[in-house]
Amino acid sequence: MLEWIQRGLSQGKVTTRYPRGPEPAPDGYHGSIELLNAKDAPPTLEDVCPTRAITVDVQQRVKLDRGRCILCGECVRRAPERFAFRADYETAARSRSALVLGDWENEQVEPVRQALGEQARMLRRSIHVRHIDCGSDGSEEWEIQALWNPYYDIQRLGFFLTNSPRHADILLVTGGVTSPMRKPLERTWNLMPDPKALVAVGTDACSGGLATEGGKVAGGVDQVLPVDVYVPGSPPAPIAIIHALLLATGRLTPGEVAA
Amino acid sequence: MSFAQQSLKAPGYPPEQLGATREPGPAGEVRLAVKAAAFAAGARVMQEAGARFATMFLADRPERSLIAAFALRGELVLLRAPAGGESAVFESIGAWWPAARWAERELSELHGVRFSGHEYPGRLTAPDADLLDRHVSGLDVFSIPYGPVRSGIFEAIQFYIESGGEDVLRIQTRPFFKHRGMEARFAGLTPDVAVHVAERVAGIASCAYASAFSQAVERALGMQVPQRAERWRAVYCELERMACHLDVIAKEAEAAALSVGQARFQILKEQVMRLRSRLTGNRFGRGAILPGGVRGEGMMDLDELLRAVDNIERQLLRDRRMFLGTASMTDRLIGSGRLPRKLVEDYGAVGPVARGSGLSTDARHERPYGNYKRLGLQVVSERDGDSMARVMVRFGELSESLRILRQTIDQLRRRDGELQAPLPALGDGAAFGWVEAPQGELLIWVELRDGRLHNVHIASPSLRNWALFDRAFPKDVLTDFAFIEHSFGLTPAEADR
Repeated sequence: MLEWIQRGLSQGKVTTRYPRGPEPAPDGYHGSIELLNAKDAPPTLEDVCPTRAITVDVQQRVKLDRGRCILCGECVRRAPERFAFRADYETAARSRSALVLGDWENEQVEPVRQALGEQARMLRRSIHVRHIDCGSDGSEEWEIQALWNPYYDIQRLGFFLTNSPRHADILLVTGGVTSPMRKPLERTWNLMPDPKALVAVGTDACSGGLATEGGKVAGGVDQVLPVDVYVPGSPPAPIAIIHALLLATGRLTPGEVAA
Repeated sequence: MSFAQQSLKAPGYPPEQLGATREPGPAGEVRLAVKAAAFAAGARVMQEAGARFATMFLADRPERSLIAAFALRGELVLLRAPAGGESAVFESIGAWWPAARWAERELSELHGVRFSGHEYPGRLTAPDADLLDRHVSGLDVFSIPYGPVRSGIFEAIQFYIESGGEDVLRIQTRPFFKHRGMEARFAGLTPDVAVHVAERVAGIASCAYASAFSQAVERALGMQVPQRAERWRAVYCELERMACHLDVIAKEAEAAALSVGQARFQILKEQVMRLRSRLTGNRFGRGAILPGGVRGEGMMDLDELLRAVDNIERQLLRDRRMFLGTASMTDRLIGSGRLPRKLVEDYGAVGPVARGSGLSTDARHERPYGNYKRLGLQVVSERDGDSMARVMVRFGELSESLRILRQTIDQLRRRDGELQAPLPALGDGAAFGWVEAPQGELLIWVELRDGRLHNVHIASPSLRNWALFDRAFPKDVLTDFAFIEHSFGLTPAEADR
């Protein structure tokens, strides 16, 4: 056992400083899609997206819904003058409409949940997290598990994993909610004491992603329960999920980037 | 001439008696057509010839048919019988071949195919989390429906455990909580878009799925892929295998409360994830592989990649030695979840589960594809059949993956070349594609009409191995559960699709 302790110490510290310092994504990382030009788009532009994340209105303006985007890059390849990959991690938002780029009417009126801010003060730095899978592809689970590895070590920020919904403050939900998982999801949420927050992790949880059209999934967690923070991504990277947890507890505000 | 062709052509051999006719197909596939009434008899012939049952599904080419696929000595044998019309009833194969049972249940529940001669209990594809289904009676026997909401961060699946307090008396795996209808999602898409669907059938094996799907499309269209593209595919797939195997070992360490060991293997896994992120822009390698080749060169300098691989190997050797030298760790693995070789064969198990019980089945070796045709592969196999054997298979394969990576990077450094072959716009055809995914052999059947996907079937390693999990607790107790489950290393996403 002593040898293991030596082995652990010999590695040195690998833990990220995030959010006390920035953790930039590597060059070329496919973190999100940027909308470079929203004007004068042909209606056929909608067809490049397999999850209908791109819409063109009657004034030929483009909207890009990151909550539906699976980052497949078809739009970047077929319309490089309008879309580009961006190497960023901090993509989470506190409302579904805030994930829609080019949505001029809704952008300013993002509802800041008053209760959530108060919750965050009450929860302080001992926040217990529970996870439930409602039909993910399995990759989101890996990225949530990674939060407890030495690189991300989320316990240093006061987040702990709990196995009981009775002890949980935050519920992380993955997947677009398949029908057999609807009841277990509702029961888990109802067993959690107030105040509590729900984080939809991944594009599938935000909107159902690719699976929506088959009719086997509800099309996002918010079809079943109110969602406090949405993290798009297929899957979102661990830093993106940390960002979402900080948003959910009011320790970061939308648009605020780690110093 | 291969064994399968020889034996199937021998005069008087049962397929001829059954009136089987040979149909044309791509290399590596032997396609036989029989009448519906002779379907089960044909499967029996396969069993007697020593074949492994792989999968069974409905196809639309050349007509509505039931196809069963068998792996037999380096070839895939497809047995086809027409399934059109109301009257088609097939004799059950699952009645005497356990490997066919879940396939039959899925076909009858989801697609209305009728089988006679075997009764299945309950419904496999419509799970009910609250269903109590007690089979063991006794005063102190209780049932634990474990899942679909698991303790910890795990995918949704339920294990219905009956126990007398310590001994696991009976266990019943209940999949399909996550059925998303992914196979149907392919229909109507062009292959270059459909590959995004394939990648999301099993998120942790995205590269394996993208490769198997792409190879199926390429085989259906009779295309050749540039060598350099095949090499990059091998790089991505071996990195994926390493991430999956390291994940299993880290979870075994976690189950034994070996915290530093867990942290060490998590560190190695994260290093592999970051390598993939730098190479492809995605931590799971998504978007890198597509039908016809690969999207582009890896975004990392090859010398740097080689140094990273060397660095991982140095750390891994030391951590492996310590893991295997920690008695509190290995004591939990040795002897638990023992699967005799015969049982594994009957259930048609694949991957590390099969190789841990003395089988040497590995798609990279049985039916070499892509760059594996040019690489010698050492199949890692262990005899003991317990959780330890399955973990040892993974340790062995980690070393083998590192060797393949080094050899492939060397090939990439020596010669330049094309990365993509153009896909015909209006291609037609049908074929299987296969890879050895980290969880085991993955088969994907595609049918293309006018350049669009028409019908896709996925035979996932997880679904084929999970039926065996119910038999993996011969002398084991409740506290062995986590060790045995992790040693299987399966993912519900691909089992439920």
